[in-house]
Amino acid sequence: MTHVVVDPVTRIEGHLRIEAEVDGGFVKDAWSSSTMFRGIELILKGRDPRDAWAFTQRICGVCTTVHAIASIRAVENAVGAVPPPNARLLRNLIIGSQCVQDHVIHFYHLHALDWVDIVSALSADPAKTSALAESISDWPLSSAKYFASVRDRIKGFVERGQLGPFANAYWGHPAYALPPEANLMAVAHYLEALDWQRDVIKMHAILGGKNPHLQSFLVGGMATPIDPDRQASINAGTIAELKGLAARARDFVTKVYIPDLLAVASFYKSWAGYGGGVGNYLVYGEYPEDDAAKPALFLPPGVIRKRDLSKVEAFDPAKITEHIKHSWYEYAGGDDQALHPSKGETRPKYTGPNPPYERLDTAAKYSWLKSPRYDGEPMEVGPLARMLVAYGSGHARVKELVGAVLKKLGVGPEALFSTLGRVAARGIETQILAEKMGDWIDQLAANMARRELRIHDNSKWEPSSWPKDCTGAGFHEAPRGALGHWVHIKDGVIANYQCVVPSTWNAGPRDAQGRRGPYEEALLGTPVADPTKPIEILRTVHSFDPCMACGVHVLDASQRKLAEVRVV
Amino acid sequence: MTSTSRPIRLLILGLGNLLCGDDGLGAAAIVRLKARYEIPDGVSVLDGGTLGLALLPYLEDAEKAILVDAIRTDDPPGSHVRLDGDDIGPAVASRLSPHQVGVADLLDAARWRGRLPDVLVLLGLVPKTLELGLHRSPRVEAQVPELIRRIVEEARGLGFTLTLRRDDEALAAPGSLDIARALGL
Repeated sequence: MTHVVVDPVTRIEGHLRIEAEVDGGFVKDAWSSSTMFRGIELILKGRDPRDAWAFTQRICGVCTTVHAIASIRAVENAVGAVPPPNARLLRNLIIGSQCVQDHVIHFYHLHALDWVDIVSALSADPAKTSALAESISDWPLSSAKYFASVRDRIKGFVERGQLGPFANAYWGHPAYALPPEANLMAVAHYLEALDWQRDVIKMHAILGGKNPHLQSFLVGGMATPIDPDRQASINAGTIAELKGLAARARDFVTKVYIPDLLAVASFYKSWAGYGGGVGNYLVYGEYPEDDAAKPALFLPPGVIRKRDLSKVEAFDPAKITEHIKHSWYEYAGGDDQALHPSKGETRPKYTGPNPPYERLDTAAKYSWLKSPRYDGEPMEVGPLARMLVAYGSGHARVKELVGAVLKKLGVGPEALFSTLGRVAARGIETQILAEKMGDWIDQLAANMARRELRIHDNSKWEPSSWPKDCTGAGFHEAPRGALGHWVHIKDGVIANYQCVVPSTWNAGPRDAQGRRGPYEEALLGTPVADPTKPIEILRTVHSFDPCMACGVHVLDASQRKLAEVRVV
Repeated sequence: MTSTSRPIRLLILGLGNLLCGDDGLGAAAIVRLKARYEIPDGVSVLDGGTLGLALLPYLEDAEKAILVDAIRTDDPPGSHVRLDGDDIGPAVASRLSPHQVGVADLLDAARWRGRLPDVLVLLGLVPKTLELGLHRSPRVEAQVPELIRRIVEEARGLGFTLTLRRDDEALAAPGSLDIARALGL
């Protein structure tokens, strides 16, 4: 039995650590730990709930919009503010474009290096690469000359030792399966994706008033003015610009990301047999399509248990609890309790080893993440959960695209419950959202045409209009999965605030009953060819798009070793 | 992209997480810089937070850039750090396999694309604590005014003069919804 430690799994120090027992070349057991304390809840107590979004927006290093959305929804739910239709559409566009950008960047920047070997790309034949690219897409940048120039550029960086984002992956690892030409094509598209994200960021600048941190969120609506007769607002000109940007975003997804995903996946079909995980999926649902108290959602909410796609249960927020039996917290009522987030407590109590240490005591408390459960069960959240629930709920376009991907790869529906299924579901969701954005822009334009310009519900802005004591929940589907904020407002200020973030659902430790979290369960049975280079463990963990949501990123000029893989 | 087509002549980019103690010193310094100084045309002062690669378009649009951040060295907390040009890359490089986004990735991506600013300077302080909290540790906080002075000095050396605002203007400066305002900066 070999004990493997990967710490951190993301480059952000102190975020995520995986310990695994490897025996006979396969993971026999695994533990997921976040070794950094978060606790935004503590910062928010006593503050004006209308400001909470600006703080929560900074929880996460990369997806700033998601905590802002969940926060304003929670406060609106508590005080009874009802955002007007335009605010709903503006939010859908912000959420959708964030998700599209995040998924594409995850694929090319954070996850591709688990599958793509850049050193192998150096030996690619540009003419063959061009033939490959043209066989899977009509994307114009596909000439042999273009791929030769990319290859030469990579060669230059390799020779000068400036591998940059590609440094220190496990080059030459036997688990890499792509031919050199596919590797070169993927690297070229990674560089193009960086250009492409400009367009998505421009959309945020138009919708969000200010970039890089959007400033247009508002409890009760949005602060993005809509007025066909004014310059600095959403008008006919900005609508046209948004439509152009959305079309370009969709073009790249359809012609580059999806073909690349399918090409890469076709070489890694064995990964449809690994990484399954807990087999339970939870979705809060997203993209309200109307303004009713319980609106229809474009991506439906629901719960799937034990991989049974024929039964999608209704989502009931009352069934969410958090355990801390294996987390560095204490509950006033004892560690075996499971508390609903509206009654949640954030009382840190570190009992782990003093760093540096070799191993965590996984029989005791071993993570700063709590263990969220739904009706007592661990649940996977994220793109795979969303696509499965939509599929099981009869979402026509999702069914069509899932069917097409399975057919193209020549695998059955059981392949969805895997590491590869997670990667594919993220792509399918990106395609669906990229297609949908144009509709929301059209609806915005239609509202403007009939002089429906409202963006904010002012009736509940003043704290004097609020109940003296009220609670609310805000649900959101962030790129990484189901995100919930719970707020308790008393006398106009925040009395309690709890966030349950997607990575807590997925990366949380065992619960009071000893059941593994989704990462832990997904790693069981993962092959590990070389315990000192456990790229296979990274493949499965990265397929969840891990984000430990704190974003401390201090630069390191002393060249201290920041992370390591150890076999102990 | 040639320098002449870059719309930002000087980018002053504050980095770090405002919720994590000294990690946010760069972002905090930027907010105060904006409040106290008149920013001339062509100069863009941005709070980049921890956005990593999403900042690439801003960096690539800049002829010259001053990054402001917490940076670890062997010196004690609160020490001033200045790096420029090719010294910045190795200083921010880490030796990991996993591929999380960060400042190193931001610089690498721009370099790979041949679009690094012509002049790149990093000014910062050695942090003491990165624990959750809205305020800088006293040793670091005490050096933030000097850090701001050094930013102004560096900008002057690059040909851009930031002038101190009159007091009444300074009070009105920060945007009403900015977290900086919420933090009372």
